[in-house]
Amino acid sequence: MLKRSLTFILALCMVLTSLGVSFALDADGNSRKGKYLFRKSCRSCHAEGQKAKDLSPVDMTQAQWKKAFADYKKLPCYGNWKNVKEKDIKDIYSYMYNHAKDSPSPAKCK
Amino acid sequence: MPKQKLAMVIDSTNCLDCKGCMAACKVANNVPDGEWRNWIKGSDPQRRAGKPVVFQPGNCMQCDKPTCVTACPTGATYKNEADGTVVINRTLCIGCGQCLAACPYGARFKNKDLGVADKCDFCAERRALGLEPACVSTCPTKSRKFGDLNDPSSEVAKLMKSGKPVQIANEKTKTDPNIYYLGETGPADWTVAAKMPDAFDFWRGLADPVVKVVVGLSGLGVLAMLGKQLIMPKDAPPEEHKDRKEAGHE
Amino acid sequence: MPSPSEFRVSRRGFLKLSGAATAAAALGGSGHLTPVKTAQAGTKLESGFESKFTVCDMCFNKCSAIARVVDGKVQKLDPNPKFLKSRGMLCAKGNAGVRQLYDPNRLKYPLLRVGARGEGKWKRISWSEALDLAAEKMKAIGQKYTRCGFMFMAGADMQSTYVHRFAKAYGSYNTLSHESQCLIAGTRAFLDTFGEVPIPDMLFAKYCLMMGANRFESLVTPDSIDMMTAMKQDMKLVVMDPRYTKTAAKAHEYYPIKPHSDMAVMLAIAHVLIKEGLYDQEFVAQKTYGIEQLSKHVEQYTPEWAAGESDVPAEAIVKIARELGAAKPAAMVYPGRRSSNYKDSTQVRRSFAIVNALLGNWDRPGGLTAARMVGLAGGVPLEEPFYENNPPDRIDAGKATLMFPEEGSFKLARDAVLEGKPYPVKGFFCYHSNPMQTVANRAKTVEMFNGMDFVMVMDVAMSDTAYMADLVLPSQSYLERLDPCSAQQGSSACACVVMRDPVVKPMFEAKPALWVMQELAGRLELGKHFDFTVEDFRKAQLKGLPGALEALKKDGVYYNPSKLYGVYEGKIYKTKTHKIELYNERYAEMGVDPMPVYKKHEEPGANRFRLVVGRNAIITQSSSTSNSLLMQFQADNALWLNPKPAKELGIEDGDWVKVQSPAGQQWIKAKVTDMTRPDTVYMDTGFGVLSKQLAIHGKGACIAEVLVDDFDRISGNMAMHETFVTVSKEAA
Repeated sequence: MLKRSLTFILALCMVLTSLGVSFALDADGNSRKGKYLFRKSCRSCHAEGQKAKDLSPVDMTQAQWKKAFADYKKLPCYGNWKNVKEKDIKDIYSYMYNHAKDSPSPAKCK
Repeated sequence: MPKQKLAMVIDSTNCLDCKGCMAACKVANNVPDGEWRNWIKGSDPQRRAGKPVVFQPGNCMQCDKPTCVTACPTGATYKNEADGTVVINRTLCIGCGQCLAACPYGARFKNKDLGVADKCDFCAERRALGLEPACVSTCPTKSRKFGDLNDPSSEVAKLMKSGKPVQIANEKTKTDPNIYYLGETGPADWTVAAKMPDAFDFWRGLADPVVKVVVGLSGLGVLAMLGKQLIMPKDAPPEEHKDRKEAGHE
Repeated sequence: MPSPSEFRVSRRGFLKLSGAATAAAALGGSGHLTPVKTAQAGTKLESGFESKFTVCDMCFNKCSAIARVVDGKVQKLDPNPKFLKSRGMLCAKGNAGVRQLYDPNRLKYPLLRVGARGEGKWKRISWSEALDLAAEKMKAIGQKYTRCGFMFMAGADMQSTYVHRFAKAYGSYNTLSHESQCLIAGTRAFLDTFGEVPIPDMLFAKYCLMMGANRFESLVTPDSIDMMTAMKQDMKLVVMDPRYTKTAAKAHEYYPIKPHSDMAVMLAIAHVLIKEGLYDQEFVAQKTYGIEQLSKHVEQYTPEWAAGESDVPAEAIVKIARELGAAKPAAMVYPGRRSSNYKDSTQVRRSFAIVNALLGNWDRPGGLTAARMVGLAGGVPLEEPFYENNPPDRIDAGKATLMFPEEGSFKLARDAVLEGKPYPVKGFFCYHSNPMQTVANRAKTVEMFNGMDFVMVMDVAMSDTAYMADLVLPSQSYLERLDPCSAQQGSSACACVVMRDPVVKPMFEAKPALWVMQELAGRLELGKHFDFTVEDFRKAQLKGLPGALEALKKDGVYYNPSKLYGVYEGKIYKTKTHKIELYNERYAEMGVDPMPVYKKHEEPGANRFRLVVGRNAIITQSSSTSNSLLMQFQADNALWLNPKPAKELGIEDGDWVKVQSPAGQQWIKAKVTDMTRPDTVYMDTGFGVLSKQLAIHGKGACIAEVLVDDFDRISGNMAMHETFVTVSKEAA
């Protein structure tokens, strides 16, 4: 009985994942690498005078970043993300989330 | 040009004892290490319940009745009538040091580099170049206000009217200083009576009675002569003539 | 008479003027024959002097100043009357800047260590030798230990940004500054309450409760000056400090609070404010989160209880709370600055922040204001490379709950280096900072240096940190430097930009940090990250501020007349709940006390004392002590000891005593005074130096040797007041 339940749950998970319903990304990737990757992959468009809105982590709250990346495939520029690996996306997200407007962001004294 | 009466009006209660004025003065006036043209009194406040401590900035008071000028044997130091400051002419100063002890405020010192007396001159060189005295401009709380008391529109003249300015004065030696303090002054009993030069005192002590005696004696002598003239008859014959007559003049 | 704001007046003009003045003096004097002569000894200000703007570097305040220069020599540093942040002043240290520039002992050329580390034996080498060596070491250490194997530290200097830039380009995450030795716990606490670090609007405050800060001695512009002005305008100042500082001496009320009980007093004040309905209820309801939780939490923290913990009478606590409540919103608990005190300093400062929030003084006159818009951009952007073989993070990562990633913690980093875990760090570059004198537990700093392959230090003088290096590089002093722009926050005084142009030619072979970083970068194939001049950098910084450069050249400062109060109208607070957090949600999630919880702290007990750290107006930085002008005010330090324990220990004023902690010991003169509590001792920082090339060598004792290094658990801030010492008059 138990074995059947477990098998069912496992199968369900596999189905769901294959359908592309991703569970929310965790922000425990490598933020430092994420910073570098964000610049490499995203800044070409997401910068002043470029195609898309000038973007940096402090432009949104943690909740907003979380929402945006929860289903990142639905983001308008996702089409340009072809070459960005899954792990890299996690790192970029970690960078944005951990340094968001309302994050424990570093503040320097004057 | 009308005469100036340069002075300072200081609000001691503003003073933080930060030593800014002392440092600024030292640099501006090339004061040798270890010597000071200005000061802050009351620097080590022992705990004092109730009232806030008051630190007292000060410097040469540019007195109107300067005992230092009286003590100077060469006339090197004098009151500059044009602006009211007490000046030291370094060429005339022989470095005897008599003026140092003559100051109730200890405002003077012997400049070890120059060998002459030195003290605050309200930054004469800076003033000549259009700058404020160094201590005045540097002060964080603008404790020292500087200007011409003879100019009714000056800040210092106005403060003298609106505030209740006091002078720090010595009981025995009253020199009429030109540094005024508003309100609470902080320590007020640190001045010392002027010690006028020993030579001065000695000669005055000696010469005075000697002169008095000589004058007195000559006076007596004159009186005696006069008295003699008046009392004694005129053309009194000499004694020998009398003798000769008695001796059988015929 | 020309005004001070006119510069570069012609020689002729001034000659005329000074001639006229001298003639007038001569004519005016009575009874003398010759005019007054100007001094012969040393040069002085004379006609034809030049006036040049500079920015003081004698402490962190960066006051704009005017250098008076004659024949290429600085004669005097004067205040800039147009600089509102300093209220047009220049303190003793600022005036003493000339003695740093012309210090005969200053570093003149690169030096290579010969002999043992700390022996003080050096060989002069050329810059190209020095830079080649440094680059070679950086390469070698980078290869052997990854780029994170080289640590970089730079203090509060306008060129420090270039050192940190180099570290990023080189690929090291291990960057440090003086900040983890100073204020990061306070920064953390206010960030986690208000979402940003406030600037107190002292000038318009009607009531200020100052807990341990010493603004009349530790000068901060404009706070220190505005505090006096405000007091003249009926601001009440109440000071709580274990020492009777000059701030305490000038306050309206002073309480010799027991060290480490500040939180108790704050919680009790909150208790009274809430119980008596004295807090700003509308403000709290609209803008804060957690009043219900806080109200419940502080029920237990009564004034009577707090009196027992702090030695501040209960009636006083109640009275102060009521006075704060009556004076609000122009009433504040002064946020303070240095928070390098206790294991729970972030929570202590949280209690300050919470009381401020209850007073509703945020974003209002006389309260705590938000940062004003200055508009200075970041300069030339850096395309930071990524090194795949680097470890995942800095060496002290995760050792404190909410560390600032760029700051880390010097204490925790040092411990990690000594441990060699999680990975070795074998190289160290330090610029414009002096950890040997300022960081607690000097023996550990020495041990850290001894364990390194290569230590290089760049400074103006042979500081104790430079003294421990393998390679010493001579830095230009600030008066010789061309520096980028720096933004300053002054609350109601101003929001402004300053920048530094050299006022004299550089002396000896001294160089600026940017040049050194560029030369090293070139040797490490990182040149593209440093392909700019200071002028280029400034241009990038000022791109959003038309007219700023002209203002800077003309007045020595550029002001942005940006919004001062009400900055947060209609905006969210940068906290988790987007409100001012009395109760911190993120802390709760992380298992950290969401509101400060008072814990009974260990006391020194019989025969021991707590050693505390402080400053005075003359020797605020460790570098100030060896300044020949400032030395005339103070050339020694002494241990403040209360007369009661002094008598018990048979110690008289002026006796030599041994002050000893688990970290180390020093012999020092005793200053027996009732200006400190019986359980607390104090000594000034910056003495007992090792470096024989400092004028202050041989004088006083080194506090860093005795201070125990603990740390604030949340931010990683050094905690120096957890030091318990014995004081004894041992027979020689």
